Amino acid sequence: MSQQVWKLVIVGEEILSKKLIKLIKAAGATGYTVNAAGGEGSRNVRSTGEPSVSHTLSNVKIEVLTGTRELADKITNDIAAKFYADYSIITYIYQVEALRDHKF
Amino acid sequence: MSDFLKLFLEQLQSPTLGFLIGGIVVAALGSQLAIPDSIYKFISFFLLMKIGLTGGIAIRNSNPTEIFLPALAAVGLGIVIVFIARYTIGKLPGITVPDAVATGGLFGAVSGSTLAAVLPQLDSAKIPYEAWTAALYPFMDIPALVTAIVVASVYLSKKTGNTSEKVEIWPIIKESVQSSAVTSLLLGVALGILTKPEPVYESFFNPLFRGFLAILMIIMGMEAAQRMNELRKVAQWFAIYAFIAPILHGFLAFGVGLIIHKLTGFSIGGAVVLAVIAASSSDISGPPTLRAGIPSANPSAYIGASTAIGTPVAIAICIPLFIGIAEVLLGR
Repeated sequence: MSQQVWKLVIVGEEILSKKLIKLIKAAGATGYTVNAAGGEGSRNVRSTGEPSVSHTLSNVKIEVLTGTRELADKITNDIAAKFYADYSIITYIYQVEALRDHKF
Repeated sequence: MSDFLKLFLEQLQSPTLGFLIGGIVVAALGSQLAIPDSIYKFISFFLLMKIGLTGGIAIRNSNPTEIFLPALAAVGLGIVIVFIARYTIGKLPGITVPDAVATGGLFGAVSGSTLAAVLPQLDSAKIPYEAWTAALYPFMDIPALVTAIVVASVYLSKKTGNTSEKVEIWPIIKESVQSSAVTSLLLGVALGILTKPEPVYESFFNPLFRGFLAILMIIMGMEAAQRMNELRKVAQWFAIYAFIAPILHGFLAFGVGLIIHKLTGFSIGGAVVLAVIAASSSDISGPPTLRAGIPSANPSAYIGASTAIGTPVAIAICIPLFIGIAEVLLGR
């Protein structure tokens, strides 16, 4: 019932979320999950949950499950080329076991 | 002069200002008080909706050509403010042109909370103004953001020698109109003109306006105190600009408003609204548009300058200042 898949995690600025999702779908991923995120990085402390006048300073965490490492790498490379220079964003990857039969 | 000081001091004791300072003080003292984001969003929507309705009802009962000159002035001021920033802080050592232009764009853009704060204070001071003046908001807001993004893009493409990329203006205008602040206001204006919203206006929007405004002022104060930390990380020129710019822009707009007053009989209260709109700096709709439009500009610089210093100066100094001047001009 289970299968090995790759879980790609992207933590970045909330204002990028629409663009990131478009990019993820264009690369060929079948789904994704979005969470509000907060924390501290090299650029600045970015928080969530507090009243924030501007969402420019909020973060999101997007998780994508991919069947192949190649697809995850393609998404990462696209994100790196478009957003790494000017935005607070980080990506990381690990292998997970998906507990449901699904064609990723 | 002593009359003016007395009136100025009276304005400083208004509830709007008291709640703003209260917010700054509790946040600076590290209080755990938190007002949820969703409430902040609802209050911004409510206030701009009410201001839009007031404006729409006024437009329905007035001559629509009256708005032409003030609207043109608002567009011009929005553009000029960006160029002032480009050729003042943009020329200082250690400040990049995109940072300066983005800051100018945010200060040219308009703050819904500051607009919401000036109108009841004019009512309290019994200074008449055309209710449609609130509808000038998008006429200054959108040109300022568009100008900032265009100026920054032209500068960056010249610097890199890559002139093939053209700046698309239409998507910036679309994004500004679609932002929650401008949408709330324009929806209110449309409903005020096209429908007869007086029953909900009189029983709901009007009575709750001042109370919600007071809560918004606490939130703005808390936000200002929190953003001070961001502002400390960037050049102190931004803090100096953020203090001077609202007053300078306000006087510029007040002067233009008085010229229109002489030409067409635009009210002095209307000139105060124009001045305060120019003095205000965007805190809702502007930052995301600029972050997307000028990615290389540092958001800590422009958001810190606007939220931590610009908005408190516009509310605490500019509103009482221009109402005080208006009272003197009206011979009170």
